[in-house]
Amino acid sequence: MRQRTLLLLLVAVVIVGSILIVATRPTVLGLDLQGGSQLTLLAKPTDKVKTINQEVMKGVAAVVEQRVNGLGVSEAVVQLKGSDQILVQLPGVKDPTQAERLLGDTAQLEFRKEAPNGEFEKTDLTGADLTNAFPQALQSGNGWEVALEFTGPGGEKFARITRELAGTGRRLGVFLDEEAISTPTVGVEFVDRGITGGKAVITGNFSAQEASELGIKLKAGALPVPVEIIENRTVSATLGADSVRQSLYTGIAGTLLVFIFMVAYYRLPGLIADMALIIYGLSTFAIFKLIPVTLTLPGIAGFILSIGMAVDANVLIFERTKEELRAGKQLFTAVEAGFSRAFTSIFDSHATSLISCAVLFWLGTGLVKGFALTLAIGLIVNLFTSVTCSRTFLLTILNFPALRKPALFGVSDVPAKAVRP
Amino acid sequence: MKIEVAKSKSRWFTASGIGLGIGLVAMVISLITLGSPLRLGLDFTGGTLLQLQFPKAIPDIAKVRAEVAEAGYPNSVVQQIGNDTIAVRTRPLSQPERSKLQNDLKADLGNFQLERIESVGPTLGQELLFNGLLSLALALAAILVYLAFRFQLDYAVCAAVAMFHNVIATMGVFAILGLLFGIEVDTLFVVAILTIVGFSVQDTVVVFDRVRENLKFLSRKKPFPDIVNDSVNQTWVRSVNNNIAALLVLLPLSIFGGESIRYFALALIIGFVVGTYSSIFIAAALLVWWRERKPASAAGAGAAKAER
Repeated sequence: MRQRTLLLLLVAVVIVGSILIVATRPTVLGLDLQGGSQLTLLAKPTDKVKTINQEVMKGVAAVVEQRVNGLGVSEAVVQLKGSDQILVQLPGVKDPTQAERLLGDTAQLEFRKEAPNGEFEKTDLTGADLTNAFPQALQSGNGWEVALEFTGPGGEKFARITRELAGTGRRLGVFLDEEAISTPTVGVEFVDRGITGGKAVITGNFSAQEASELGIKLKAGALPVPVEIIENRTVSATLGADSVRQSLYTGIAGTLLVFIFMVAYYRLPGLIADMALIIYGLSTFAIFKLIPVTLTLPGIAGFILSIGMAVDANVLIFERTKEELRAGKQLFTAVEAGFSRAFTSIFDSHATSLISCAVLFWLGTGLVKGFALTLAIGLIVNLFTSVTCSRTFLLTILNFPALRKPALFGVSDVPAKAVRP
Repeated sequence: MKIEVAKSKSRWFTASGIGLGIGLVAMVISLITLGSPLRLGLDFTGGTLLQLQFPKAIPDIAKVRAEVAEAGYPNSVVQQIGNDTIAVRTRPLSQPERSKLQNDLKADLGNFQLERIESVGPTLGQELLFNGLLSLALALAAILVYLAFRFQLDYAVCAAVAMFHNVIATMGVFAILGLLFGIEVDTLFVVAILTIVGFSVQDTVVVFDRVRENLKFLSRKKPFPDIVNDSVNQTWVRSVNNNIAALLVLLPLSIFGGESIRYFALALIIGFVVGTYSSIFIAAALLVWWRERKPASAAGAGAAKAER
C-alpha cells in the first residue's frame, strides 16, 4: 500500500516534469523538417597528396568551416565522417546551389609570371599568403573586383614578382584552380621597387555575387585536396513545415485509433493502458527534448510506430489477466499474475527490438540513426509506463469495490467463485 | 475460436511455400530485367531528384518529360506528386549540370519552387547499399545469438526460420511492386526490414515463451504437439491485437505520410502482418515438426532441459 502511494507519487512527478520540459524546451528539428541542405563532401587524393589521412581531413574541414561561415548560415554543422568524408549541414540555407559552388571548389590561387616564350611559370606566391580577400565595386561603377591583402612575406613576394615583370610587357597571371582569371601587365613605373604595400586586386568581369563568393573562397584558403559533393539532400522550408504538419495529423489519428481500440476491446484495463500511453507519449517526448534528439521525418515515424507498439506489453498483460480470471482466480490475484507472468515475454520482446535499434544506430547514417534512437528511447520508456504505471493504476482502481467486476475486464464467462468479493 | 496448428502443419507450410515462391520468382525476374532482386532507389544507385512545385497550373507531364529529354537526360523518370508538384529523377548530376537543367526547365515550363533536391553519387550509393546489407546481416546474427542464449537451440532455429520467412515475404511483395508499379526501395526500406525482424521475433518469442512455460507444468500429461497447440491458442489473440494496434498507427502513415514515409509504412504493414501470421502458424508448426522427427523420449528430455 505504502509502496503504491510512493509509485503514484513518482508517476505524478514524471507527468509534471514531462509537461514542464515539453512546454519550456525547444524541439530540435532535423533539416528535413525545418528545411535546409545536407551535403556530404568526399576528399579525393591527388598526385601531390596521395593518401587522405586524418591530418589532410582536418585541413579540409577547417577550410570548409571557414567557407560555411562566409555563407552566414546560423547553426551550421561541419563534421568529419568516416575516413575521407565531411558532412555539412546548413539549416535554412536560402540558396543551396550557391552553397554547393562555394564548398566544392578547391580555390587554389596562384600568381604566375609569363615567361618570354609566353608560358606562365609558377611562383612562390599563392593563396596561402593572403590575409584578406573581399569584393569591391569597380571604380567605373560597372562591375566588381576582388581586393587582396597579403601577409608581410606575401607582400614582399608580390613586390619582387611585379618588379621582375614591370615594363617588360610580360603579364602577371592570376590563376584560380589552374585557370587564368586575370592577366594584367605591370606598369613601367614599378620597375624599381615592384608593387609594394601588400595589396592587389583581381579583375575579371565579376558579378557582385561571383566577387563575393571568390572573396569567401580565397579568404578561407585553398582546400589541400579537391573535394567532390557526393550527396546533397535539400528540403525547402515549406516542404519541411508540410512534413511536420502531416506527421502531427497522422500521429494524432493513429493514437486516437489505438485509444479507441484499447477501450473497446479491454474496457477498464484498456482505459488504464490509454492513460499509460499518454504518460508514455509525454515522457518520451520530454526525453527527446531533454537530450536533445534531433527529430527527423523517419524519427517521428519511429515515434508514431512506437505508440502502436507501446500497448503491446499491456495487451500481453491483460490477455494474461483475462485468462487467469477465466481460470477462476480472484481479481487481485489475476491482475498480479497477469503482470508477473507476462514480464518475461515483455522483456524478451523488448530486447530483440533493442538489438535491431542498436545495429541501426551503430551502422546507420543520419536519418536512420534518428529512427533507431527514437524507437529505442520509446522501448525503454515503455517498460516503465506499460508495466509500472499501468500496474499501479490498475491496483489503485481496484480499491473501489464498484470497479471490481470481471465484466469491466472484458470477461463474462467467469467461474462463479471469482465473482465473490 | 480454436486454432489448429500442430496437426495441419503441412497446410501452413504449403501456403507459405507458395507465397514465398511467388516472391522469389518476382525477385529473379527483377534480377534479370533490372539487375537486382528489388528495384533499387536513388539512395543505392546514385542519382539526382528534383522536386518542383508549381505555384499556378502544373504543366503537362508529357511536356516536362520532353523538356527533360531535350536537356540531355532522356532516360529520366518524371512523376507527378500531389496536385502541384513534379519530381524529376536523372542520373547523378554535378552542381553545374543540375543548375543548367533547372534553368532550362524554368525557361520552358515557367517559374517553380525547388522543394527538394536529393543527389547521391554512385560511389556513395554503393556504400549505403553495403551498409544496409551489413546492418541487416549483423542484426539477424545478433538476434540469433540472443535467441540461442535465451532458448534452446531448436527454438532459436525455428524462430530464425520464421524471421527469414518474414524478410523474404516482405522483399517478395516489394519485388512485385517494383516490377508492376516501379516502386523502389531506399535506405528506409532497410530500416523497415530491421524493424520487422525485431517486431516479428517478438511475436515468436511470446509464443515460445508460453510453450516453455506450459512444458514445465504439462510435459508429463500432454504430448508436445498438443502443448504447442495450446500455447498458440493462449497467445494468438495477443499477437493479433498487438498487430492491430501497430496497424492502426501505420495506416494513417501509409495513407497521408508523404512520399518518403508512405512506402516505409507500407513495408512495415506487410512485414507485421506476415510476422504475426508466421509467429502463429509457421514458427510453432516448425517446432512441432522438428521435435516429431526425433523419438518421443528425446523430445521429452529436450523439453525437460528447456525448463532451466
